[in-house]
Amino acid sequence: MTVFDELQQAIINGQAALAKELTKKGLDSGKKPRDFFPNAIIPAMDEVGRRMRECEFFIPEVLIAARASRAATDLLRPLLVGDEAVQAAGVVVCGTVKGDLHDIGKNIVAMMLESAGFRIVDLGVDVAPEKIVQAVKDENANVVALSALLTTTMVNMKGSIEALKAAGLRDKVKILVGGAPVTDAWANSIGADGYGKDAPAAVELARRLAATA
Amino acid sequence: MTENKTYRITLRPTHAELRAAAGTPLRDVLFEQGVEFPCGGQGRCRGCRVRVMEGTAGINPAQRERLSSEEIEAGWRLACQCTVESDLVIELLQWDAAILVDDTVFAFQPRSGLGVAVDLGTTTLVAQLLDLSTGRVLAVRTALNGQARFGADVMSRIQFGVADGGQRQLTEMIRRQIGGLIEQLLFAASLTCAEIADIVLVGNTVMHHLFCGFDVAPLSHYPFESERTGLARLGARELGWKFAGDPPVRFLPCLGGFVGSDVLAGIMATKLAESQNVQGLVDLGTNGEIVIGNRERMLCASTAAGPAFEGARISMGMRAATGAISEVTAEEGKLHCHVVGNAAPRGLCGSGLVDAVATGLELEVIQPSGRLAGGDAQWMLAPPVALTQSDVRELQLAKAAIAAGLRILLERWGNPELHRLYLAGAFGNYINRASARRIGLIDFPSEKVEAAGNTALLGAKLALFSLDGEDGSFQEVRRRIEHVSLNEDARFQDVFVEELTFPQSVHARD
Repeated sequence: MTVFDELQQAIINGQAALAKELTKKGLDSGKKPRDFFPNAIIPAMDEVGRRMRECEFFIPEVLIAARASRAATDLLRPLLVGDEAVQAAGVVVCGTVKGDLHDIGKNIVAMMLESAGFRIVDLGVDVAPEKIVQAVKDENANVVALSALLTTTMVNMKGSIEALKAAGLRDKVKILVGGAPVTDAWANSIGADGYGKDAPAAVELARRLAATA
Repeated sequence: MTENKTYRITLRPTHAELRAAAGTPLRDVLFEQGVEFPCGGQGRCRGCRVRVMEGTAGINPAQRERLSSEEIEAGWRLACQCTVESDLVIELLQWDAAILVDDTVFAFQPRSGLGVAVDLGTTTLVAQLLDLSTGRVLAVRTALNGQARFGADVMSRIQFGVADGGQRQLTEMIRRQIGGLIEQLLFAASLTCAEIADIVLVGNTVMHHLFCGFDVAPLSHYPFESERTGLARLGARELGWKFAGDPPVRFLPCLGGFVGSDVLAGIMATKLAESQNVQGLVDLGTNGEIVIGNRERMLCASTAAGPAFEGARISMGMRAATGAISEVTAEEGKLHCHVVGNAAPRGLCGSGLVDAVATGLELEVIQPSGRLAGGDAQWMLAPPVALTQSDVRELQLAKAAIAAGLRILLERWGNPELHRLYLAGAFGNYINRASARRIGLIDFPSEKVEAAGNTALLGAKLALFSLDGEDGSFQEVRRRIEHVSLNEDARFQDVFVEELTFPQSVHARD
């Protein structure tokens, strides 16, 4: 097994310490920081996504795998700064909408997007529309990902989209929405660009949308 | 005139014969018969499935999304999506609900007249008529909360309430329904024209607000707090009730967040507020409620457990009715399933689900991670009833919500030794305590866990005797209870994720 294969396994198994160690080992042996993503981290999280979809992995397994992935990316990110050949897949501003404090689902999506090569600006929970607008401006984001877990707070997704429109930023970003009560029909009705029914779907969607943004 | 045409509808297995006008939503017809609509009749779940045995009922995209083509072919429909367009013979998947009433003997100070105690639940209503001089229950009436057709849980009820005119509709509906129940109580006791001295209601904060006519909008979003949570005093006449003597109507005070007077009543009924030792009270409902404390200090919280304990969102889930697997045990590796009514197995109710997973963990058919061993998609319990991988996941979510809530309240209290844990409500009566412990839901030795029955109703009855004259024991106890908002606890989501996994083995901890 190559060090990339070993790292991929360590991430899938959720072994954060081992993932960190293997990343160091790879760097020491002369592997380029940017090569870790297509050869280990992205395929690992794709596999995690597949296992999640097939009910093999549940929230705890996904979270520990994401933590292991982060152990690797934390080492790699600083080394990528200034590498002209590396371009982030996109900049995603994400958060749970105003009035809602649920963040497990949002965190899983954020960590998976990060492993897929996106730069994440996580605004946390109970996020007011103004904060989203500000972050899109400040970070020059091209994707906004909104989460809500309650039928009563999901209406605030609409308010966030309208705030982006009012600020003249709507055409600059692609908006994806998700969360237990959210449906495709709801996403369409509020003028979002897409709905991800689970974290892997959100990653796929973000990849597709960012390519056209 | 075609508009006036009515059709005959026959229900199986109840054999009820009904008539309904052409075009009537099947939802309205069946709701009167006790059929429930878990998603509020929006075609988002499969809870209201019925099988059309004779006649026709249309199919629409919402049904195609939820039903397989084999099911559609076999006549299965989502009742909430159909209207009456022909004579029909329908097989119901759901049966009549068994609603828990209270027949506990309790101590009281006699007073004169008649009293009515009402447990206003999100799903079910129970009302009792009492002779206040003897404490004797003269009549009992139960019903499903009529608002349930607009959403099974409190959040969807709020969502309906904040929409245009929704709140008024819900308020009028519940007042009318409870007024009707009280009329039935008087009729049943042959006391139709008698004066009622006192009417006491208990219920969660949302039920309190909807009954009293208080705005539910503050409960729709963070921080989920309303200011109008105090003891509500109303008159029968202003509620549109015509009872002799215009009796006073009181809705007992809420405790904070969604935790309402049903929990306050439970605290009074279990005498938790008088106990020297630390005790707990847990109501395992869709909105799980938890109290930890003693006479010095009490903490309460609610936690969204979802409907798994009621068999909803479980692939073959059903209520504890005929045909439901209610107990699962294993002897020398061989499975035994007890089926309600000794009928052919048709589904799995909440207690059966908890038993099945506990047994699966013991047999190592289910791993502590919740994964079915060998990557199987399902585990056959008693054909055709099987437990699927996603059923286990649903139970993990419900279990984690309760277990995390309990853990955080105990930590906040200072990790006291818990001397007794009362389980309130119907589910608490049926659940196997050893199984509840095996899955890590109620992680306490069986001898410390006690099924306490309908403590909300018992507490409401006690209030009929102690509330009058402002001696105010209820009000005084309420001041000693602190509401903990779990969603604001920074650790809740971490503890919740930890609690998603099942314990390795229960023996290790004894």
